[in-house]
Amino acid sequence: MKNTLRSLATASALVLMATSGALAEWKPSGPITMLIGFAAGGGADTQARMIAEELEKRHGWQIIPEQATGGGGAKLSAKIKDMPNDGTVIGLAVTETYGYNMLANPKAGYTQADITPLTTTAGFQMGIVSQTSKGWNDFGDVIAAAKGGESIRFGTMSPRIADIAFLLGEANDVEFNIIEVKGGKAVMNGVNAGDMDVGFMAGIQAKGVAAGDLVNLASALSTPLKMSPDVKRMDAYGVDFVLDGYFVFVGPGGMPSDAQKAISTAIADIVNDPSTKAGGFIKKAFGGPATISGSELGGLLAADAADAEKLMMAVN
Amino acid sequence: MGVLDHIFLGFDAVLYGSGVVPVLGIGIPLPLLMVFLGLVTGIVVGSIPGLAGPMAMAVALPILISIFGYETSAFLPVLGFLIGIMKGATAGGAVPAILFNTPGTPDALLTTLDGYPMTRKGKAFKALRVAHFSSVSGDSVSDIVLFIGAPFLAIMVESYLDLPEKAALILLSLCFIAAIVGKPVGKGLIAVGLGLFFATIGTGEDFYPRLTGNIVELSGGFPIACAILGTLVIGEVFTALYEMRGEIINHGRLVRHKIAGDNSLPLAEKRQLLGYILPSAAIGTTIGALPGIGSTLAATLGYSTAKRRHDARHPDDQAQRFGSGVPQGVAATEAANSAVSGANLIPVLSLGIPGNAAAVFLILAMDSINGLNPSPSVFKFPSSGANPEMVMAFGLFTLMAVANILNWAGGLQVMRLMGNMIHIPKQILLPSVLLLTIAGVYVQDTNLLSVIWLVLFGIMGFVMRLCTIPILPFVIAFILTGPLERTARQAFSATGGDPWFLFSSPICVMLMAGSLFVLVYFARKPTS
Repeated sequence: MKNTLRSLATASALVLMATSGALAEWKPSGPITMLIGFAAGGGADTQARMIAEELEKRHGWQIIPEQATGGGGAKLSAKIKDMPNDGTVIGLAVTETYGYNMLANPKAGYTQADITPLTTTAGFQMGIVSQTSKGWNDFGDVIAAAKGGESIRFGTMSPRIADIAFLLGEANDVEFNIIEVKGGKAVMNGVNAGDMDVGFMAGIQAKGVAAGDLVNLASALSTPLKMSPDVKRMDAYGVDFVLDGYFVFVGPGGMPSDAQKAISTAIADIVNDPSTKAGGFIKKAFGGPATISGSELGGLLAADAADAEKLMMAVN
Repeated sequence: MGVLDHIFLGFDAVLYGSGVVPVLGIGIPLPLLMVFLGLVTGIVVGSIPGLAGPMAMAVALPILISIFGYETSAFLPVLGFLIGIMKGATAGGAVPAILFNTPGTPDALLTTLDGYPMTRKGKAFKALRVAHFSSVSGDSVSDIVLFIGAPFLAIMVESYLDLPEKAALILLSLCFIAAIVGKPVGKGLIAVGLGLFFATIGTGEDFYPRLTGNIVELSGGFPIACAILGTLVIGEVFTALYEMRGEIINHGRLVRHKIAGDNSLPLAEKRQLLGYILPSAAIGTTIGALPGIGSTLAATLGYSTAKRRHDARHPDDQAQRFGSGVPQGVAATEAANSAVSGANLIPVLSLGIPGNAAAVFLILAMDSINGLNPSPSVFKFPSSGANPEMVMAFGLFTLMAVANILNWAGGLQVMRLMGNMIHIPKQILLPSVLLLTIAGVYVQDTNLLSVIWLVLFGIMGFVMRLCTIPILPFVIAFILTGPLERTARQAFSATGGDPWFLFSSPICVMLMAGSLFVLVYFARKPTS
């Protein structure tokens, strides 16, 4: 019995060593293609490229960044699902790609099963924003203005967010002129130029808010906004949905767990280290890192999809 | 603090804000060195057929951020380099347009109209001198306006232009270009229609792509670089190869353009050219100050205005008319498109809205680096102390002026050096241009499909040239389709779903009537 126990212990130790050895030694079989679901040169693209650079430096992996922009991450996802799942292909999208964007697109051509979620890098500081010169202090002032007969142009950057803007109007018995544009930058341009009265912005407003040109009127998150912790959440205005969202790295579906773990740990380590270029940039551009990985990330994506379904039903 | 204090603080930030680099034992402020390097890079990149400034800026930006970081001290060196490229490439872009009839950008296409005939006459170097002189002069006018306080202009213009007016303005631009360049107007409209059609494929607001016929490769739409460089450069390479075949059949050998006669540009002639440069610079500066309208329209308006004036003076002398290789044609275009770059910073800084592709990268850099957040508050005077953003803005203006001075001083030498490419035989040059263009597109998009689109657009450009359908309206329409659709959709939403939004204000009605007028006017009186 003693011998059996000893052999079992030795065997377990060997297996553990082998596993941890495999984790420590996981190496891609060739260069890693990093698909980037965002336009070249923007904040998200810069983030991805800086992470790629640091991965090469730390681990000696060769990373080839490649743009796969379009359809709110649909192009990236449709492409990545048929690529090798041995850890030589990863992609940067947003969590919304695997929630609302997937469900609202009849020709999406991918499901959550087609991808392996790796890790998030940063969250969006989504708020409802206007120019300070408008004189509004919170979203209640916007509703009051609309009730007073003022026509309110509401800038949004995706169909999901446009749905939320519609629900905000409906819950408060007012009708907004909802303008859908591409990207938070376009919403900010519209608000700054006076083409829109209010708009959703996902963190890009930070500089303007700090400078006193823009003001967050409400938080669209389940948590307070980091830059304006005192503003109310959307549930104070009758809408229970939230717009929590993250940048997320994914791989093709069915990626072996050693590759999945090695890559997500490597990326999370870089993002969480403010002394790296990528970590510093994420802190500055997106208010700091937010790394969720493993089963927790899987749960988050599933919950996102369920939430998106509820939102679509609420609007229809 | 007043304007002057901010200007001095801006100088100060350039000289002392980002450190000093020793060059040959002399300490040079880093931003100035970066402007110099950017300018030389820009001229070289702009001069090489198949490459263009925005492409170099796209490649440079992530590298620059990686080297300098994103703290405030990185702002002026990074922006300095990008401004250098922007200005250098605008001037350098005239080189391939004049020497080889292969413009790298739509703006430079108008330079080919008189520049390339000058090369055929043996006056290539004179054309380069005219281009450089006009480019830096136009740029100077624009920079002066920028310094004098045009920032306030952008906010004023923006207050008059709401979304419906912007949509109507883009329609007017399209009609204007079809009418001016199309001979007859119908062919210009065909080119506009083709541009609108191709730019519509695979794009749009829905998650699923439109007009793709379920072809997956079309789902991302055609990359803008493929469509533009394909029709402009590759199309020209194919046309040149076709012409070479003709030359060999007719002459038994290839005709080589040589430098012949006097290629100098005496002071008296420079003074005479100013009569064309200054009006064009005024047009370029005005167009540049309008949000979202770019250098191509400025170049078109500058050229067409000068053409009408010039041709009226020489009604019977074909050799003196625009299009036959007159220096005034090169001057009018180059002054207009260069004058955009300074004034363009006005909507960029005060509203964050770019007027051309180069400005997009300036905005991206400002987004990534601390120092300045483009918004109306950049030009607000604080009740006490200095506005750090305005200081940075004047730091940028200083760098613009430095780039301009450096361009005056040494730009021509670099352009002439690059102009020696004229001695390269066509049978070596054309394949090189083809290769460089393909490489340039691949670097931007790292996708083999883009190369295929590039070549297909090249074939289209070649066929269009054979059918004398103008390329410029196609290119402009391709570029403006996105903004037009976006603005029109937004205007429709903003007016609460009013289908008559294009006629919702007196300015809109005026702009729409203007569109109809130019088409009818030029169709009835075709320009010869």
